[in-house]
Amino acid sequence: MASVGGSSKDGLTLNLNPMLDIFSILITFLLMSFSTDPVSHDVDAGIELPQSNTIVALDEVPTIVVTKTELRVNDNKVADIVAGDVPEKDRTQGAIYPVFDALQKLAEANKRVNKVKSDDPNAKGSTGALTMEMDKGHRFKLMKRIMLSAQQAEFVQFKLMVQKELN
Amino acid sequence: MSRKKKKNKVEYKDVELNIMPFIDVFSMLNTFLLFTAVFLSVGILEVQIPFLSNTPPPDDPKESRIFQVNVDVSKEQVEIQTSYTRPPDQSQKFPFPNNGEGVKQMHQKLAEIRKQNADTDKATVFSEDDVSWESLSAVLDGVMLRIEGDPVFPAAKDAKNREKAELEAKVYLYPKIVMGSVMLR
Repeated sequence: MASVGGSSKDGLTLNLNPMLDIFSILITFLLMSFSTDPVSHDVDAGIELPQSNTIVALDEVPTIVVTKTELRVNDNKVADIVAGDVPEKDRTQGAIYPVFDALQKLAEANKRVNKVKSDDPNAKGSTGALTMEMDKGHRFKLMKRIMLSAQQAEFVQFKLMVQKELN
Repeated sequence: MSRKKKKNKVEYKDVELNIMPFIDVFSMLNTFLLFTAVFLSVGILEVQIPFLSNTPPPDDPKESRIFQVNVDVSKEQVEIQTSYTRPPDQSQKFPFPNNGEGVKQMHQKLAEIRKQNADTDKATVFSEDDVSWESLSAVLDGVMLRIEGDPVFPAAKDAKNREKAELEAKVYLYPKIVMGSVMLR
């Protein structure tokens, strides 16, 4: 055992067994809950995700993040959220113009990348899917506005982030 | 010659196990696991939105009579509507309250409907504007995902990636979800 000071044999000894017990339990717990998901993403502090029974894991970091107060595309704030909706100045035909603008640029970039990746030289590049992280308290009205903006930028596939229920 | 039997005396000394390396390894492992731990497991629900295109679909739906499943979501109720694209449309409506029990009942009805029309793997969800994302996600769960006891339906015949489609068939009740209300005014 590790001894602490003292010259005599009956000096103080530090009992390490309780510490080892704690370590063992902690390691067992951490190994059990060790995530093997392809992407590890920390949910924004201002967002509470709805619970779901889905088993499909998140496979890319979210492009659109909708907190209680702001809307971000690729970590850049594009609009404020006031009383659960975007201000009227940002709206066009039910969609959100700054979101459309940001997504259009992203769509062009995605198309170019996917075209290069494709084996077929004549293939048109696809825009791919958009991953969206949204607070569970928001109404569908806001989600619809974002989806409409994305639709105009030629995005049709969405991956909506949810919190997996632990069974 | 006389032999002297020597007795091997076993002398027990105080043996101390050096547990310091063990503690070092545990500490490092602990630190690594604590840094990489994900305490909130995040998943996704995949949905599509309608996309208007001039290109005609490969098989002309004008000629075929296709069974369709719609789910209308409002704050108070969830309604399944089934019909055919060509007359007689034989439309049917099944309303349920929009709460935990109602969504369970809706799921059971959808499983029944899918059993009778196994080829239809698409459901269109229409939601009212004031429905919260929390409530809508619960409905999407009920429409999309298989639960224990649900039959496994065959994968779509036209699937490009057969292996993926077969895996999806085990997970989903309706793998294709279209958010029907997302249309430009």
